[in-house]
Amino acid sequence: MSVKDMTHHIANYRKIFVFLLIGTALTVAASYMEFNVQNSIAGAVFVGLTIAAIKGYLVAANFMHLNSEKKIIHWILLLTVFFLSLLLFIPLLWDLNLMSHY
Amino acid sequence: MEIPYNVQVREDTGLYNSKLGIWLFLASEVMLFGGLFSAYILLRTGAPVWPPIGEHGSIMHILKETIPHATFNTVVLIASSVTMVMAWVSLKMKDLRKFRIYLGTTLLCALVFLIVKYFEYSHKIHEGFVPSHDTYMALYFTLTGLHGLHIIGGMIVLGYFFGPGIKMWDNEPERFTNRIEIVGLYWHFVDLVWIFLFPILYLLN
Repeated sequence: MSVKDMTHHIANYRKIFVFLLIGTALTVAASYMEFNVQNSIAGAVFVGLTIAAIKGYLVAANFMHLNSEKKIIHWILLLTVFFLSLLLFIPLLWDLNLMSHY
Repeated sequence: MEIPYNVQVREDTGLYNSKLGIWLFLASEVMLFGGLFSAYILLRTGAPVWPPIGEHGSIMHILKETIPHATFNTVVLIASSVTMVMAWVSLKMKDLRKFRIYLGTTLLCALVFLIVKYFEYSHKIHEGFVPSHDTYMALYFTLTGLHGLHIIGGMIVLGYFFGPGIKMWDNEPERFTNRIEIVGLYWHFVDLVWIFLFPILYLLN
């Protein structure tokens, strides 16, 4: 990478840093808000985790350079996300009582 | 015998070996934390009240007090991620002096994070909120404890590259730069985990 590329990267990292700080402030603010839905805490959880997911994406795409990484890395992560989703979904199935007949 | 592909990329993967290695390791780390997040969902959705009320009442009043500390720690960890990536950029620009400054700042941020965590743990334990108090506290100590261990592990590796490990720069600068990229990926992952731990353990209760 040339010095010019690096200078561009540095400017980008600064921008991401500011976005992450704003995201953190928004997450804290969302936890104090009353959401006009049936279950207010569920609304706060949804908003909080959505902001966390965006922040996570910013870190992975920019600081970990996933946006310019090789395909093999993307495939490894895609497989990981699949198994992670499965892992996270199992307790939800339990909670929704969809597994009651087993 | 020389280890192959620690600087040059392999033709089949397009990566140098340790980069593929660290991503496979991080994938296994996702599953490790994923299992604990899964336990969190199971216990939270199954609890009539969250956080549960135990022998010493509810943790909620202490949690509210610790939100500023946890927010401060989040900012510190995000800042450490920026200084970490800047340390790598400094090496790419062949500026070893700046590299030392950025890596030193990353180490300092990690130390500040652990000190704040120590005070947070002490306060909770002093008030009787130990892991056996309720399922929330058990998850809190397991998740933040495991994350803290990752911080300590990262600090040991970063400390090595800040100290004796830096000698590699004199003879093999490219290989040293790759090593910093690898430890950087690990460090950003530790930051990423905290980004999710912060709302689920401190804010969304």
